[in-house]
Amino acid sequence: MGALELHQWAAGAYLGASLAAVVGLGVRARRWLGFGVWLLAFAALLHGLAFVELHRLEPTPALTELPLAVSLAAWLLVLSFLALQLRVPARGLVVVVAPAAFLGTVFESFAVPAPGPPPPGSALWSHLHVLLASGGLALLGVAGAAGLLYLVHHRAIKRHRVARQSALPSLESLDRANALALALGFLLLSLGVVTGVLWVETREGRLWPGGLHANATLVAWLAYSALVFARFGAGGSARHVAAGSAAGFALLLVAVVGIGVAR
Amino acid sequence: MSVLLLGMNHRTASIELRERYAVEDARPVLGKLVASPEVDEAVLLATCNRVEVVVWTRTLDAARLRVRSLFERELGEATTPPSALAPALYELVDGAAIRHVLRVACALDSLVVGEPQILGQVKDAVRVATACGACGPVLGRLYSRAFATAKRVRNETSLAERPVSVARVAVDLARQIFEGLEDKAALLVGAGDMIELALDSLRKHGLGAVRVANRTPARAAALAARFGATAHGIDELPELLHRSDLVLTCIGGATPLLTAPLVREALRERGHRPLFAIDIGVPRNVDPAVNELDNVYLYDVDDLASLAEANARERQAEAERAETIVAAEQQRFEGWLGALAAVPTIRALRARAEEIRRSELERGLAGVPLDARSAAAVEAVTRGIVNKLLHAPLTRLREELEGEAGLGHLEAARTLFALDDEGAGPDEGPDPEP
Repeated sequence: MGALELHQWAAGAYLGASLAAVVGLGVRARRWLGFGVWLLAFAALLHGLAFVELHRLEPTPALTELPLAVSLAAWLLVLSFLALQLRVPARGLVVVVAPAAFLGTVFESFAVPAPGPPPPGSALWSHLHVLLASGGLALLGVAGAAGLLYLVHHRAIKRHRVARQSALPSLESLDRANALALALGFLLLSLGVVTGVLWVETREGRLWPGGLHANATLVAWLAYSALVFARFGAGGSARHVAAGSAAGFALLLVAVVGIGVAR
Repeated sequence: MSVLLLGMNHRTASIELRERYAVEDARPVLGKLVASPEVDEAVLLATCNRVEVVVWTRTLDAARLRVRSLFERELGEATTPPSALAPALYELVDGAAIRHVLRVACALDSLVVGEPQILGQVKDAVRVATACGACGPVLGRLYSRAFATAKRVRNETSLAERPVSVARVAVDLARQIFEGLEDKAALLVGAGDMIELALDSLRKHGLGAVRVANRTPARAAALAARFGATAHGIDELPELLHRSDLVLTCIGGATPLLTAPLVREALRERGHRPLFAIDIGVPRNVDPAVNELDNVYLYDVDDLASLAEANARERQAEAERAETIVAAEQQRFEGWLGALAAVPTIRALRARAEEIRRSELERGLAGVPLDARSAAAVEAVTRGIVNKLLHAPLTRLREELEGEAGLGHLEAARTLFALDDEGAGPDEGPDPEP
């Protein structure tokens, strides 16, 4: 099975996981959510195999190609979510993570990018930049998902519009998932920015390339710095941090993916 | 003979009114009640959601007045105006009363349908009434049937599979806020029945620490000692609040104990960690403005009632099955009650037959010399004839009494055999034609 077929199967499995998660949330059945998580893990396996197949192509398509970078970020998002399950019982996050992974993979499922010339500058820095930035984007995506679900669940509980039992994770779990993903994601994003700067330096001989992508990413990084300080330094309320995580990820998505698509 | 039930519950009376009818010890009340000639047997059920008196009486109207006077003059606080009591009080007689007793025991009439505590409370009420001689064979039988019905409902429906109570709802909601309850601390304010039940439930759900605060520290201490909690005075509330994650209040008082400034200060002290407060006191113990604070989730009794209604809707199908069981058991008890009503008729009929047999033997054998053996044989034969003649109609009568037409048959039997005629005797009227 080739990379394209594996990508398609992975996208299908992500879609299945999304449906299972939505059903689980709708009928408040944790069993369905659990099934969704298993399906998501299976999809991540297929997705990983797709990357292995892609790597065996000659010449190998560059990870700096936007559809591939988004697909990589989607895969890392799923891996981050699965790894997070080991520390925080937040299975309900699958309801956001699975559709996001599906959307991140679906573009890649139509066509594998044609191998182009290797990106200019240091291959090491370019690879590190893409890997770290994608990892950061994935983890901050998990944080954003946790923040979004926190806001929804918080609102329902606060307004007494909650059923006696819910398939959503507890507010405390969502806050912990948010904090953990935010801390690690911010670290990777910072390293992604640094490696990006170093890559630009080897490519263009200057430290800051300017342009929409770089400037918007810097703004997003500054916003996340403030958020990390609010969460870990100033003891900000969980609700404000959740809102910040969701908004910060939207900003990051625009900076990294939106501007890339627009170009 | 009638079963009469008078009472008030969470649907007809506010908790403020119900609190005025709180009964600490039912024994003196029951003692006075059954000492009245109008009341043969009585049971008093007093919980935080209901106060009900069930009596078995031969004189319904007189008993009705007696139990109403109990509510008006003896049970409630003297300050309760009769105008407040009248609309809150409901009265049920015979079938309706029996059905109500069965439904209450099955938790079909509870605030949270299917809650498990009510059955224990009913059993306690019957135990107390039996111990002081107020609960006799009829109400004893009624409550035995109620317990059997509750058992059937538990076994044959899934109403009890997910047992719910205020404490259980609190725990379920708390699980939506907190990741686990093992490292969380609960603060219970008050020392009444609801707090006791909540304490039991919270302990079972493995809360890390449970503290009880009350205006009377001795009551808090007694309660805390039973459940391995710690007891505190109400003045320690500010200090306790910032060390607690879940607060459940049910204590009397006209003004809220937990105000927004007090909770805001506690939140600051606890580093803005979430605080979940459940206020089941009426009047409310927690200022509603507290819910506006960030990281505080406040639920009062109305919010819980809406959750309970949602729970009731979810369990509608099971509740309908339970109602069918209640209806069957009600019919069964009414059959027994009907058979009980037949006892005087059956006795009278047997006596009448025996009287006829004896008088006819005396008349027919007058002057006939019989030895002892022959006399015994005649005695046995005539007794056998009478018993065989009566067996089928009496058996059928008992059977019919379990149905709606039973009382008509009873009446017919009394008329046909002239059991109500004062002068009717074996010598009256001509002998029937052969």
